[in-house]
Amino acid sequence: MVRRRRLGLRIDLRSIVVCVALAVAVIVLALVALATGSYQLSVGQVVSALTGGEAGLIHEIVVEWRLPRMTATVVFGAALGVSGAMFQSLTRNPLASPDVIGFDSGSYTGALIVIMLIDGGYLEVAGGALLGGIATAMLVYVLAWRRGVQGFRLIVVGIGVSAMLTSVNTWMMLRADLEVAMSAAAWGAGSLNAVSWDQVALGGALIAALLMLAGVLSRPMRQMELGDDTAASQGVRIADARLGLIVVGVALTATVTAASGPIAFIALAAPQIARRLGRTAGITLAPAALAGALLLGAADFVAQHIAPTPLPVGLITVMIGGGYLGWLLFIEARRRL
Amino acid sequence: MIIPSLRRPTAVLTAALLGVSLVLSAAIGASAQETRTIDADNGTIEAPANPQRIATLGRANGSFLALGGKPIAVTKLRQGDFDALLEDQQAAYEAATLLGTSASEADLEKLASLKPDLIFISVPNADFEQMKEKLEAIAPTILLGFHSDWKRRVEVVAEASNKVDVLNKQKADYDQQVAAIKTKYAETIKNDTFVEVGSGEFSKVAVFHLNGSTCTEVVRADVGLDIADLGEGGQSRSYEQIGALADYDVILYPVDHKGNVTEAFRPMTESSAWQALPAVKSGRTVGIYCPLDRSYPGNSRYMESLDRGLAALPKDE
Amino acid sequence: MGVTPVTDKEPPAPLIALRRRRFAGLVAALAALTIVTVLSVMVGSQAIAPSVVWDALFNPSDDFDHFAISDFRLPRTIVGLAVGAAFGISGALIQALTRNPLADPGILGVNAGASFAVTVAVGLLGVSDIRGYMWFAFVGALVVTIVVLALGSTRRGQSPVVMVLAGVCVGAVLGGATSALTMTNPDAFDQMRAWGAGSILGRPLEIVWPVLPLLGVALVLALITSRSLNAMALGDELAASQGVRLVRTRILSVAAITLLAGGATAIAGPIGFVGLMVPHVARWIVGPDQRWIFAYSVLLAPSLLLASDVLGRVVMAPSEIPVGIVTAFVGAPVLIALVRRRKASGL
Repeated sequence: MVRRRRLGLRIDLRSIVVCVALAVAVIVLALVALATGSYQLSVGQVVSALTGGEAGLIHEIVVEWRLPRMTATVVFGAALGVSGAMFQSLTRNPLASPDVIGFDSGSYTGALIVIMLIDGGYLEVAGGALLGGIATAMLVYVLAWRRGVQGFRLIVVGIGVSAMLTSVNTWMMLRADLEVAMSAAAWGAGSLNAVSWDQVALGGALIAALLMLAGVLSRPMRQMELGDDTAASQGVRIADARLGLIVVGVALTATVTAASGPIAFIALAAPQIARRLGRTAGITLAPAALAGALLLGAADFVAQHIAPTPLPVGLITVMIGGGYLGWLLFIEARRRL
Repeated sequence: MIIPSLRRPTAVLTAALLGVSLVLSAAIGASAQETRTIDADNGTIEAPANPQRIATLGRANGSFLALGGKPIAVTKLRQGDFDALLEDQQAAYEAATLLGTSASEADLEKLASLKPDLIFISVPNADFEQMKEKLEAIAPTILLGFHSDWKRRVEVVAEASNKVDVLNKQKADYDQQVAAIKTKYAETIKNDTFVEVGSGEFSKVAVFHLNGSTCTEVVRADVGLDIADLGEGGQSRSYEQIGALADYDVILYPVDHKGNVTEAFRPMTESSAWQALPAVKSGRTVGIYCPLDRSYPGNSRYMESLDRGLAALPKDE
Repeated sequence: MGVTPVTDKEPPAPLIALRRRRFAGLVAALAALTIVTVLSVMVGSQAIAPSVVWDALFNPSDDFDHFAISDFRLPRTIVGLAVGAAFGISGALIQALTRNPLADPGILGVNAGASFAVTVAVGLLGVSDIRGYMWFAFVGALVVTIVVLALGSTRRGQSPVVMVLAGVCVGAVLGGATSALTMTNPDAFDQMRAWGAGSILGRPLEIVWPVLPLLGVALVLALITSRSLNAMALGDELAASQGVRLVRTRILSVAAITLLAGGATAIAGPIGFVGLMVPHVARWIVGPDQRWIFAYSVLLAPSLLLASDVLGRVVMAPSEIPVGIVTAFVGAPVLIALVRRRKASGL
């Protein structure tokens, strides 16, 4: 008895320690991001700019450029982590992300249409991405609906619709002028180069609301992980909970995608990394959110410093996320056998 | 006309005084941040009258470099656009700080730290809108729409960067060159039908283009070649339809700055169908060099290649 | 993996009915392939009369329609047959090996390896010809698959689940590196967007011939492993108790997948969807017997590829759409319709 209780305590402690450690890492990284950049500023100048002591370009760079970008990495990263956690829990598939239902390819199609056919501005691109993504997700859901939505059918329909949209995207990229195609590719990789307060404020508010909904859904989510029957016997309304998870998961990704393009791999890697760090059996939302924020923050820092000129952050998220997840798997496999 | 009058001492004195006062006023003007209004695609811009530190992004790179400008910061040029520049222009490009590969991913903090006094940018609308406020916080920014007419683009760049005289010289040289070609090859131009075939870019998978390069319009409008107007971008055709080229007297095909057939077009020239075309058999093909980025010097390079190619054509029987 | 294999709950109906269906389907698939192959030679953006096509094949002269056949249509048909079959079988193999009915050869990093190697060739080494970079693609696919196999291996052998995850991770890292190279090099970007679309036109036959024997070797490997894979579908332990040599089977399968998918990608670029969809649908028709799935895949995959290619030629005539873009449009509606009609669909 005593032994078991101690074990339970230790597991709880471990996940708390992991959460705190992740949070500290996120904060440290955020401060480093504020203090570094191609425009040389001393820590004193940065602090003074933050407290309103600087005017002109220095104020502009710290408060209008670096601060919103840093905020975006934290908020968007958390959103992606949670969104991925929900989908992985829902499909019980460690490789699932909202892309399963075609959201990413759909939003890319929407954005490409706006960028290439109507030469739209930032808001139009965001709108096009949102519209394209949601329309695709709904189409996949409807096509997969046959007296209820069943996981396997959802995945197959999602793969099919995604494949078609990816073809459309490839075709548009081929037809476009090189400069337009490259700019679209940067959007498609996911880039934070364009974020400003407008987007962060709007996106952040939406994400905050959605994260609260996610908190409400986390209990039925954990129960459903034990099996639909078990959950139903505990009073979970399976169909509603499932739809809720899909809608909130998609909405989180959609918000990030509209603001910065489909930043890849965080939704996939963050929950897995969090689960392995916490050594928990199931998917948990809070560590996934923190891991997402940390991943995106780290990736953005690397993206701005690794090459002579900055890279879209999405290129780095796949490399860091993929590399780290691979490393964890490697260690795990070695230990297990 | 002016020189004889300078023999008179008073005239010399007047001229000297005038010169000094001009220099002085220019110096004072610069120090007082005198401005001029530029009519750009992002509205009417108050730009410094005598900008010294100019940064260029996107398609504005080539426009400014071709005028002999020395930018302090640029975004990346394609190899083809770089090759099209003259040696000193290439040196000017390489001396500039590279901000990023594409304008939308440019490092604007780096740009800010270089303290430019004027920024030229030519990018798609979506890109500009997201950079607008940041750029304008750094320096007056002149947008030239991505799809804007290249002639207007170079004119605005020349005006805002004090290089109108350079532009006029380039224009005059080009007109002279075109006139010379028109007289030299009057007969060919009158009698032969032309087709321009190209696949300047790799992205055109499995197709070739008829009369699709930006230079087609130049030879039709400026030189007056008999070459069909198939609309902007020309017409893309499957490789299978290579036989359609048999209907023309002379075929223009794309070569690089060294005169070799471009890599993207090479598979086409290696097919037996190409070898069997009457124009190819009789040597009536012209390799033309069409720089992607449009400018008068670029057009001049194009005319040079046309001149060389037409000169090498076998005479009509 | 959360996605469990499709355990076809065939009613324990008379086996004869299943066998009859399998044979009938095979005949139909063969007929489809024949028809599509003929269409591929007959139909294109240039309208050429059947009699002229006949002459072009058996009595060629310096006619431009004859050139259109001999220079373009015939080679692309041959390439399509070889590449399609290769993608189909490698897809069947990977789905059996990972017991994941939705795996495609790309999951082992074949596409990522090939793309990365081609990008290095194009962006850093200045190679700009298909003859030059196809070998990069092949070697890239080979090396990356070996790395994935090594990462997915443990002392006790290879775990398909770990291998798939390793493939996704390696693919992500290489994919990011590939994009980083192209995003900083406009010219490489331009070439890669063309290569990445996937096309079977403009591939001179002389580059296809050296790859064909490799594909043949891989085909033999696939057939050798099919019986063992059938046993392994029921679980490693059961298979081992039946005398199946697990490690040997896995290594042979991975070798075959790499040769097939790597070779096909080297020739045609990363054409997606064929390798995922065809074996998947084949399994629905014939049930979980690997030998039948191979037979169907080898016929249906090139049918899908060539049908897509023909469609890509006529739909925008006189221009064309590269086949890699069309396959999803031909295949995905079929896949979706089928998955909607199925009563039991796993999980």
